[in-house]
Amino acid sequence: MTSAAGRVPTRPAVRFPNAKYGEGGVILILSDRRDEAVEMVLAGLRRRRAPVTWWDPGDFPARGHLTVTFGDGGHRLVLDPGTGETPLDLAEVRAVWRRRPNPPTPAANVTDPSHRRHVVSQARFLLDGAWELTSARWMPARGETERRAHNKIVHMAHAVALGFRVPETVYTNDPRELVPAHGRAGGRLVAKQIDSAEFTLDGADHRAYTTVVTRRHLTSRHRLGHEPVILQPYVPKAVELRVIVVGERVFAAEIDSQASRTAKDDWRHYDDDRVRYGAHRLPGDVERRCADLVTSLGLSYGAIDLILTPEGEYVFLEINPNGAWGFVEQRAGLPVADAIADWLATAGTGEGR
Amino acid sequence: MSDFATALESGVRLLRGLPRRRAHVEEARRAAAGWALEHPDLRAQLVVDERPGTPVVDFDLLVEDPRGGTVALTVQTEDGVPWLVDHSTHWAAGQLVSVDDVHLSVAQALTMIKSLSRRDTTPHDEIVDQCLILNEVADETEPVPTEDLQAAADEFRRGRGLYDRATTLAWLAEMGMTPERFETYIGGVARRRAFRRRKEAELGAARLAADPRAFDLVRAVWITGRENGVAAHTGDLARAADGGLAALAAAGDVETTIAERPALDLPEPLRDMAPGETVGPVPYGGAFLAGTVLARHEAREDERTLAAAGRAAFSEWLAARRARATIEWHWS
Repeated sequence: MTSAAGRVPTRPAVRFPNAKYGEGGVILILSDRRDEAVEMVLAGLRRRRAPVTWWDPGDFPARGHLTVTFGDGGHRLVLDPGTGETPLDLAEVRAVWRRRPNPPTPAANVTDPSHRRHVVSQARFLLDGAWELTSARWMPARGETERRAHNKIVHMAHAVALGFRVPETVYTNDPRELVPAHGRAGGRLVAKQIDSAEFTLDGADHRAYTTVVTRRHLTSRHRLGHEPVILQPYVPKAVELRVIVVGERVFAAEIDSQASRTAKDDWRHYDDDRVRYGAHRLPGDVERRCADLVTSLGLSYGAIDLILTPEGEYVFLEINPNGAWGFVEQRAGLPVADAIADWLATAGTGEGR
Repeated sequence: MSDFATALESGVRLLRGLPRRRAHVEEARRAAAGWALEHPDLRAQLVVDERPGTPVVDFDLLVEDPRGGTVALTVQTEDGVPWLVDHSTHWAAGQLVSVDDVHLSVAQALTMIKSLSRRDTTPHDEIVDQCLILNEVADETEPVPTEDLQAAADEFRRGRGLYDRATTLAWLAEMGMTPERFETYIGGVARRRAFRRRKEAELGAARLAADPRAFDLVRAVWITGRENGVAAHTGDLARAADGGLAALAAAGDVETTIAERPALDLPEPLRDMAPGETVGPVPYGGAFLAGTVLARHEAREDERTLAAAGRAAFSEWLAARRARATIEWHWS
């Protein structure tokens, strides 16, 4: 996220091929203009000669304009990216890829903080309404659906209902829950954040990765009262899995984090010399369940984290509706970018569901 | 309340007041030592638990129970810091350096140090250079050709005296690497070597064309040492072709080098000199140098010259890339 003052100069919106929308209409990509994942997918869209507009809502309302007009029993939604190009009638949009859009940003010369907050709130309201009325298919989903699916409590309930095995999990801010959870886990308990959020300690950026709870942690149990956490027994790993679902296509990458002392508790510590990434073949029922989970949450894309235990059981940890897939393509060789391009390009053609 | 209970309460007060930061541990130790002097019968000792990756520390106070045994006191005050925040780690904990998009872990750096080979630079600079190249190859997905892998593995093993399977396996065990991980690691080394080769080939011809004189093949003799010694033997250089070399070879107070190299690879004072010219003594690399050029042949676009131009161009490209990079050492 960048402030108005700190934003890099915005590149013009990408638009190709020019003017002709083709049979199915335009693909609208909502994301930061430095998003490398979008670049990876654009190649596939170019090959399919799919018309694309790449726009960052972070340019709105400072540069771009959005107009919704009601009249004659209908409505019209027009997006002018503010780059001198032809405004886009959102009725022409067949698919929207909501990747990593920045929040609305006021113009730099709107300086009063209360005015800036006001601009953001008004702009967000209009954007939410316009997207609701844009009758394209969305990846992964409209913002509200994505936010609901991102909630760990919500998606874990869906996973359990679909038959995924999940660790005994406690979401709580009750300090009295900590010691019993530690005891039930036989002293092998991990704690996680309910949602990833930035914070600092002594002014330096800190992270709360998956934390193996020691007896020392128990002595500060009262701190749990300040914010909820997730408590789970430590699940032994043969490998960790990142499963990417695109529509109904499922790609699984295994992460051999156990080869690294640095990454064995949380592969996001990255130790690329020692951690091996590779393609993984999921059992049919697990693969089906992954696709069903994404569908049941109203999504068309999801990044699911699983653990494969040494006993061969697949254990569900969480789903991120907009989770990273670049490393799955680059390190495990799985063609996720092409699958996303395919899903977007076949919107409105009756294919690629 | 018993004396022991009173002392325990006092111990709790002590612990509540100790600063829970690594930078203030000595202050905490002094406070605890003072408290211990006030309670000599308890034989109190402060245990400092320094957590990795964070400035936060914890304390335990061990005291002797008058009825026998040890009592351990620990205190966590209500300071309003949430539990996971208190137990968090610095975002770069476990990482040594970040160079643009590459974050090098301590484990990776330790392995990388084993493969550093350049003598003309510091390990710090070479690690940064390797990270710059890692940035360049980050998006490469095609497999490394088998012959490149083999060449990289052979070079790596030769450089460490790992001439047979047993010594290689022992080295891997010492490094905490499985043979499979070693293969992956060598894949990375091979990819970086291949990038360097490609870049040298891409830039070499243009570098040569831009400054062909820098790649003239030059035969030169030079001596280095203390100023007096170099000055005393400069005359021998002037008559190098007429017995001077023999005199230099016998000189014990200077180091003599005779070499034929592309001009750019010679000591800087000699690079532009014509045959028969002599220079020195001049300050050079912390000592003094004098030298003469015996022969100079115009650069030809042959394999050796192009390779030298490629190496020079790559070094310059790397220096420019380094100047643009964002470099952050996390432990300095």
